[in-house]
Amino acid sequence: MTHFEMELEKLKDVIKKIGNLAVSQVGESVKALLFEPIEGKEVKKTEMKIDKLDVKIDEICQSIFALQQPVASDLRFIMASLQISNEIERIGDLAVSVIKRAKNIKEKHDLISKFEIVDLAKEVELITAKANECLSTQDEKTISEILTLKKSIKSKGDIIIEHIIEEMKAHSKVVVSGTNLVIALKHLERISDHCSNIAEYVYFMVNAKIIKHEKHEDLNIDKLE
Amino acid sequence: MRDIKIQVNDLSLYYGEKKALNNISMQIPANKVTALIGPSGCGKSTFLRCINRMNDLIPSVKITGEMLVEGVDIYDKNVDVVNIRKKIGMVFQKSNPFPKSIYENVAYGPRINGLKDKTQLDEIVETSLRQAAIWDEFKDRLDDSALGLSGGQQQRLCIARTLAVSPDIILMDEPASALDPISTSKIEELVHELKEQYTIIIVTHNMQQAARTSDHTAFFYMGELIEMGKTNAIFTKPEKKQTEDYITGRFG
Repeated sequence: MTHFEMELEKLKDVIKKIGNLAVSQVGESVKALLFEPIEGKEVKKTEMKIDKLDVKIDEICQSIFALQQPVASDLRFIMASLQISNEIERIGDLAVSVIKRAKNIKEKHDLISKFEIVDLAKEVELITAKANECLSTQDEKTISEILTLKKSIKSKGDIIIEHIIEEMKAHSKVVVSGTNLVIALKHLERISDHCSNIAEYVYFMVNAKIIKHEKHEDLNIDKLE
Repeated sequence: MRDIKIQVNDLSLYYGEKKALNNISMQIPANKVTALIGPSGCGKSTFLRCINRMNDLIPSVKITGEMLVEGVDIYDKNVDVVNIRKKIGMVFQKSNPFPKSIYENVAYGPRINGLKDKTQLDEIVETSLRQAAIWDEFKDRLDDSALGLSGGQQQRLCIARTLAVSPDIILMDEPASALDPISTSKIEELVHELKEQYTIIIVTHNMQQAARTSDHTAFFYMGELIEMGKTNAIFTKPEKKQTEDYITGRFG
């Protein structure tokens, strides 16, 4: 293995680590939202680890750009890595925000079961796992599944939020919990957006085609399903 | 490519029995820089030398196919090779100034072409040195020996000497490979400026140099043209795996 290839392997390793940490953070946030509030200590520690790895990825990429002048697929991998680590870091932050919001939802059990939030939360966990998976497999089918999941999460979230607002209008005592729940759901939706951004960067890495800001209906990857 | 300067059709070259270039077909656009890249022995320098018939000097060489420069096959028996080399100048890896003054180096070509008028010669020397971006450095020392110049200056003087006979096409065979980064950057900058007026073809082992200086890149391997395309495309998304492997350093 050349020195350059070793640097690329190092970068892949760090991305794998930061991706796994994000999956675990989202898992914790879903747990906190659906079940009981969780102790923030571990989550905080993981958040710090994610931040450190994010900086490390920036440093490795900077050094590869300066010293190795990467081209073609190597160049795309490093460009995508910089963006992906940024997306993952945001996922980590949002997961922590969900955990914080979850603490302020008192009538949790009632609200969660009434509005079918479990399905949505499970889909967010799934999309995060798939985004992490496609980082190493670079599999186009997984990319396509992520883009579909994102749409499903968005439409489910919109309907649920509408219902929660109706509930808040009817019963003022749930306004505080309802508001926190709406914000938490919006955070989950943003997490799925970041996951789909990751999928778009992986697509760019593999196919050298930039698909962000595009309607994914136009892409062949939708037809892979 | 709109304005084609050189059209190559099925060009093959043999050194005796050995086929060193295998059915090369390509189009080289006018007023652009085309870089030829590939590992040692891939045929890129041999191909470059075909463009001004430098390979004629090697007795065992046989060439088939066509090399059309502005539509004229330069290997046609009615073509005057001296005229071809006037039209197609060449700069080599190792700077090779004549053991003469700076002035005489540049004036040499026009002089052997019959120009005697001192004013006209002065004019050509100044214009050529200006085009090669070394007039300011050399204007007060035109009578100094060219052999006393640094490698980078010698190479730029050789470029000026090439420009003095008003070629259309300039062939460069690793023109900066023996130079320090500052001289290299001056040569690369010069290549950029010269393409306004000349068609430039450059052979280089330095991938970044090809990426920085050229508009089109052709990748040669074992006597074959594997891929040619816009430099931006070759260095971001080459179509052939062999090209990708070569430019990313994973060859062989």
